[in-house]
Amino acid sequence: MTALMGFRQASYVLSPSHGSEKEVGDCTEYFCLCTILFIRKRSGRQERSKKLELAQSETMKAGTDVHNSKEEAEEPKARDKRLMSLFGVADLKNEAIGLYNIGQSCCLNSLLQVFLMNIHFTGILRRIMIPRHAAQMKRNVPYQMLLLLEEMQRGKQKAVFPTAFAHCLSAYRVKLFVQHDAAQLFLTLWNVIKMQMGKPELVEELSDLYTICVQEHLACQKCSLETKRNSSMLTLPLPVLDSSSHKLRTLEDCLQHFFHPEELTDHNMCFCEQCGRKTPFLQSMKLVHLPKTLTIHLKRFCFEKSAYIHKLSHYLPFPQDLDFSAVLTEDQCQADDNEKAAWQYELFAVVAHSGSTSYGHYCAYIRSLTERKWYCFNDSEVCQVSWDDVKCTYGHSNLYWAETAYLLIYMKKQLQ
Amino acid sequence: MAQWQEVQSLANAHLERVHQLYAGAALPMTVRQCLAAWIEDQNWRQAAEPLSSHARMLFHSLLALLGERLGSPGLGDEDFTQKHNLRKARRDLQAEFEECPERFANLVANLLQEERRILRLGQAAGQGAAAPAPSAAPESDRKQQIQRRLAEFHAAVQEVERAFWHLEDLQDAFDFCFKVHYVPGEDKSNDPQYVRQLQALQAKLQTLDRQRREVLAQMQQLLGRSERLQEFLQQELGDWRERQQRACMGAPADTCLRPLETWFTELGQRLFQLLQLLRALGELRQKVTYERDPLKAEIPLLERRLKEQLTYLLQRAFVVEQQPNMPNPCKRPLVLRTASKFSARARLLVRLHDRNHRMEAKIHIDRDPPKIKGFRKFNILTSSSKTILAGDSPQEGLVCDFQYLTLKEQKDSRSGKGAKGAGESPLVVTEELHLITFTLAYAYCGLELELETSTLPFVIISNTNQLSSAWASVLWFNMLSTDPSNPKEQQFFSAPPAAPWPRLAEVLSWQFESVAERGLAREHLLMLAEKLFGSKPSPESTVSWPKFSKDGASGFSFWAWLDGILGLLQEHLKPLWKDGLILGFVSRKQEKKLLKGKRTGTFLIRFSESILGGVTCTWVEHPESGPPAFRAVVPYTAAELASLALPDIIRDYQLLVEENIPENPLQFLYPDTPRDEAFGPYYSQRQEGTLTEQKRYLNRRLIRVSSRQANESWQTEEELVVATENLETLQLQPGGLGTQQVTSGNLGTLQPGGLGMQQVTSGNLGTLQPGGLGTQQVTSGNLGPLQPLSPGTGQVMATGLGMLQPGGSGTLQVTSGNLGTLQAGPQVLEPPQPLQVRPGVPEVLQAEIEGLVLQLVPEGQGTLQVGPGDMGIMQGLPGGLGTLQHMGPGDQGTQQVGPGAVEQQLVLQLVPEGQGTPQVGPGGLGTLQVLPGRLGPLQPVAGDTGTLQPVAGDTGTLQPVPGAVEPLLVPEELPLELLPGDLDMQELLESLANGPEPSSGSLGMQGTLEPAELMPNVAEAMDGGLDPRLAGSAALLAPHDPFLPQSEDAAPAAASSLFTTDFPPLSIDANDFQ
Repeated sequence: MTALMGFRQASYVLSPSHGSEKEVGDCTEYFCLCTILFIRKRSGRQERSKKLELAQSETMKAGTDVHNSKEEAEEPKARDKRLMSLFGVADLKNEAIGLYNIGQSCCLNSLLQVFLMNIHFTGILRRIMIPRHAAQMKRNVPYQMLLLLEEMQRGKQKAVFPTAFAHCLSAYRVKLFVQHDAAQLFLTLWNVIKMQMGKPELVEELSDLYTICVQEHLACQKCSLETKRNSSMLTLPLPVLDSSSHKLRTLEDCLQHFFHPEELTDHNMCFCEQCGRKTPFLQSMKLVHLPKTLTIHLKRFCFEKSAYIHKLSHYLPFPQDLDFSAVLTEDQCQADDNEKAAWQYELFAVVAHSGSTSYGHYCAYIRSLTERKWYCFNDSEVCQVSWDDVKCTYGHSNLYWAETAYLLIYMKKQLQ
Repeated sequence: MAQWQEVQSLANAHLERVHQLYAGAALPMTVRQCLAAWIEDQNWRQAAEPLSSHARMLFHSLLALLGERLGSPGLGDEDFTQKHNLRKARRDLQAEFEECPERFANLVANLLQEERRILRLGQAAGQGAAAPAPSAAPESDRKQQIQRRLAEFHAAVQEVERAFWHLEDLQDAFDFCFKVHYVPGEDKSNDPQYVRQLQALQAKLQTLDRQRREVLAQMQQLLGRSERLQEFLQQELGDWRERQQRACMGAPADTCLRPLETWFTELGQRLFQLLQLLRALGELRQKVTYERDPLKAEIPLLERRLKEQLTYLLQRAFVVEQQPNMPNPCKRPLVLRTASKFSARARLLVRLHDRNHRMEAKIHIDRDPPKIKGFRKFNILTSSSKTILAGDSPQEGLVCDFQYLTLKEQKDSRSGKGAKGAGESPLVVTEELHLITFTLAYAYCGLELELETSTLPFVIISNTNQLSSAWASVLWFNMLSTDPSNPKEQQFFSAPPAAPWPRLAEVLSWQFESVAERGLAREHLLMLAEKLFGSKPSPESTVSWPKFSKDGASGFSFWAWLDGILGLLQEHLKPLWKDGLILGFVSRKQEKKLLKGKRTGTFLIRFSESILGGVTCTWVEHPESGPPAFRAVVPYTAAELASLALPDIIRDYQLLVEENIPENPLQFLYPDTPRDEAFGPYYSQRQEGTLTEQKRYLNRRLIRVSSRQANESWQTEEELVVATENLETLQLQPGGLGTQQVTSGNLGTLQPGGLGMQQVTSGNLGTLQPGGLGTQQVTSGNLGPLQPLSPGTGQVMATGLGMLQPGGSGTLQVTSGNLGTLQAGPQVLEPPQPLQVRPGVPEVLQAEIEGLVLQLVPEGQGTLQVGPGDMGIMQGLPGGLGTLQHMGPGDQGTQQVGPGAVEQQLVLQLVPEGQGTPQVGPGGLGTLQVLPGRLGPLQPVAGDTGTLQPVAGDTGTLQPVPGAVEPLLVPEELPLELLPGDLDMQELLESLANGPEPSSGSLGMQGTLEPAELMPNVAEAMDGGLDPRLAGSAALLAPHDPFLPQSEDAAPAAASSLFTTDFPPLSIDANDFQ
């Protein structure tokens, strides 16, 4: 508490004069930057963005054997249940608690809520190793997160300040008082948490909870040499436009499009070892495994005339219940029937953005896993809403300031 | 209801939770109960904030209140234990929280919050149990949602307002302390009091900062919620637009805007309220700001978001309330005619505006015209702009009502290019769609907007006869346009889509519903579909635009046919259709199926498929042997129904059978309602009064008659099917000489063109139109009209004859059989030939020719009807009975009653403007009935009884021959004036003086006589000696007689009787069967 107050005190300079305007400019640039990084050269070159995504989750094991992890998954599942009954009690009692906006932190707040409302995640978080020294404690992100969770639950206040946590994060290149891109911040946050988790079994559990496994196929069109590669990702970065820049109509269409094979011709050709030259390739991606908590990133931005990014706010509905095995075709999957049977999802959270790419506000719609009710988190303000309100984030072509869904978090249905 | 009371009324399961809640709580339930209202009234959450003095104040108030309670005498002895509990609780609380009242405040705040949560759960469960899914329509569900959300939104805005005031208080407090305690530039860090004050100041700033963030978050949240509300309202508005569009097409739909206006206004009000709060927040920031002031970054963001929402709301709220509409009886909007007035009205549903701002509304036509060659351009005449005044109509809302507009085509632009009108354009005039756009300069609370909205596309015509096809276009567009508000849709008819049958069926049904308050039933639609598709429709069946409105095998399109029926319904058959008495759309096949099992005389009413706007009756007869037969009357059209309503036709319809009394074959309306029961309410009032009163006129009634022979052989059902088909298609046109004999069979139209003899011995004949010379003999069989076009003799021997229309000169001899109407066409040749009606033949002769003579041989009975400009003579031979009816102006008719016509009753009826000379020969008895406004001399010959009955305004001349009985009863009070100075009369009298009758003693009179007072006793005026004067009278009535007034001299009748209109004959016209 003292540390927190200390920070608060340090941050204020009492001056009745106007503050400087520079800051806003700074944050806008940052948002641009990270989105550019993230989806550079989107149009017509899907693979780049996919690779980029993989690069971001480099710490994850590439080529995880699906079957092994599946067998092992039985054990954590049982444990999860026990833990849920243990920790869930505390969570059950809780009402949703807000987080104060400490300065452009609506993005962080929204993501924190998505993490902390996920009892599967908090089940892991509560078992982390507690650092021994105060200095370590201060720098340890999972620990700070746990503290925040405790504070939210214990205090029974309307909202709490995530100041200490934000401060701790700033040591990991997550700047304070800056508007972030939610997808970018989610990856950073997740990686930092995993890195500092301490216990290997928890790291594995965390990975299991969030990691999507896909198999990349690259086939030379000349000699039919095929290379396969297993890779994992944390989010499915779905384009909302098709290759000819037409608006896709539904989330299912986006998924279809994402897993649709793509021909790499002309200057997109790859070098074929067998042919010894650049040849046209057919690139495809097959879905191998889906985690319990599935994060979908809607790439609602596009580049017009190179540098300028603008937001795509058009209407794109997403379902409350999503059955992947029904959406994807047989050759878009590389999974057995058991795995596929488990691909039944229901929407858990929506991180929505209003405003333009450079300038806006984030909020989160989360469906409480215990109460099964929707809440809307707008920083310190939390209120119960209905599915109708969530549907409002489908997007609207004419309204740039309406809330539009940016991240969708689906939760695997508990099979009876 | 207070929270604690509600909690206590919870179900047991939930009460258990409350007990658990208080079991471990530091605040005993006794205290909660005792001070329930007071506890709920305090703001514990706010007091729980650190370093707040509020908490201490509340804590001590609570203790004091408890003390009061303990001391009060209200608690009786039985509450001794409760008193004890309270005392203990007070002591415990004091011990526990004296040092940290904030903790106590926090505890109470949490307890209250938890209570609310339990309460919500309990009530939700209670509702679920109490009202098991009230399965209301989703629409009303949405309305409820809107109401609920609006109320919630209103409460939330108030909440934000309260939070704002709190913030204002905090800021004022901080500002004051800051100015008092903070001394910049002076190092007083060693002064512990100053440091303490600075810390307190810092804490105040913390609170202020947090309150600012909370208010901002609340606003973000509110904007998120209003998005949903907005979406609901837009959906509701979208539904309204759809309803309006449907209503334009004639569907019954509620197009009231009142609820929408209320909702839009309310949401607008709240959003503007937020905008003002946001501005007030900006002002707060002007007073106090600091590093990382959340107001700095968030206010512009919120303002943009809010303004976008407001703009969207206002833009959508500007709607066309009344689509362009020209007053017309068929309630067909969106069709405008150049140079006739129309009106249109737009409304802003958000009833908020700046009273100081002048709001100007404008209208433009085709602001962005489609790039179609030859697209007509129009100007709107009269003012195209209007200022909406602030105090114009507070209760009516903001309305831009444009009335008395007219359209004028811009001619010059096209003629300049040398274009030649519609021939250039790929679209016909009725497929050209135009738009009117309304714009409104709006301003309120510093928000200025240019709002605009467009009407639905409409069609501009220049002539009323384009109305039908223009309406077809409007229907087609509104039925099929995917996005009616898109201006690109003006080119809709460049490639009009096909209509799915189910959709079209619905729209067609609306047409009937709007015209005659009853839509089309499933069976009707099935028949229409079969007509369109030739088979049963599938849901995928579609109708193309040309098929609907342009092509038509029968010479007119499907739509033209349907619209003809709509017109007929509108004008004549509304009540019958509305009450379901008209089966209407029944195919012939279906008709037989329906009637087959019904008893003889069961009939149904259906629309003609072969002629535009026709309706007919079909009835079934079951002969003693053989299959049932079906008969249909030639369809009635609007022209006929104008003179006689369909229910009356049905009531009086007669089928004449030889040697039988004429009977009405229409007995039971399908399925089995007796005729008079079904149609009784619709019969026009019979003029019973004239029957019971004195006989001013002989009673007459216009009836429709068909005739057939009694011993006619009925055809089998199958044959009849063939027959009806033949009727539709067959036309025999033999061109050679010789004898044609149609001995048996069904004949549609027989048109022999050559010379020779035609003999139709048996069979059903539609129309017989012999064009050549020769003799026609129809010996047996049913004949519709017989229309000989050339000289010859038409002989109908033993026949049921509908109509005999001799167009040529010749003798028509009806020797035996029943004759309905004998109509002489106009192209008759000289010399006029007599028609002879033999005994036993009731005869109606309609002379449209000059010089037609009807001779009534003894026992014959006939009526001679003389049309406009015609002249006819009716000669009654002894024993004949006849009526001469002059119909139009300028008629000349002579009635001669020959001697020895004992039983004769000759009635000459002169309808207005008719002129005639009835001559009653010796011994004849005649009644001259003069209807208003006509002139005619009555010449009774000696020994006759002549009666002149002049009705008001007549000029009549009664010329009694010497020796004749003078029965003219002229009441003394009536002014009778001789008009010797009248030139016409003078001439007439002179001419008559030259005739066989002496003119002396003639009485010319002109008077206004009340008919009732001039009733002669006809029966008494009988005389024996009669003198045949036939030849003379015929000479007198030669058409070129210079002394008789010609039709041009007569002024048109002021009130025409039934017979003055050209009465359409009961005839089968060959054109029907093309």
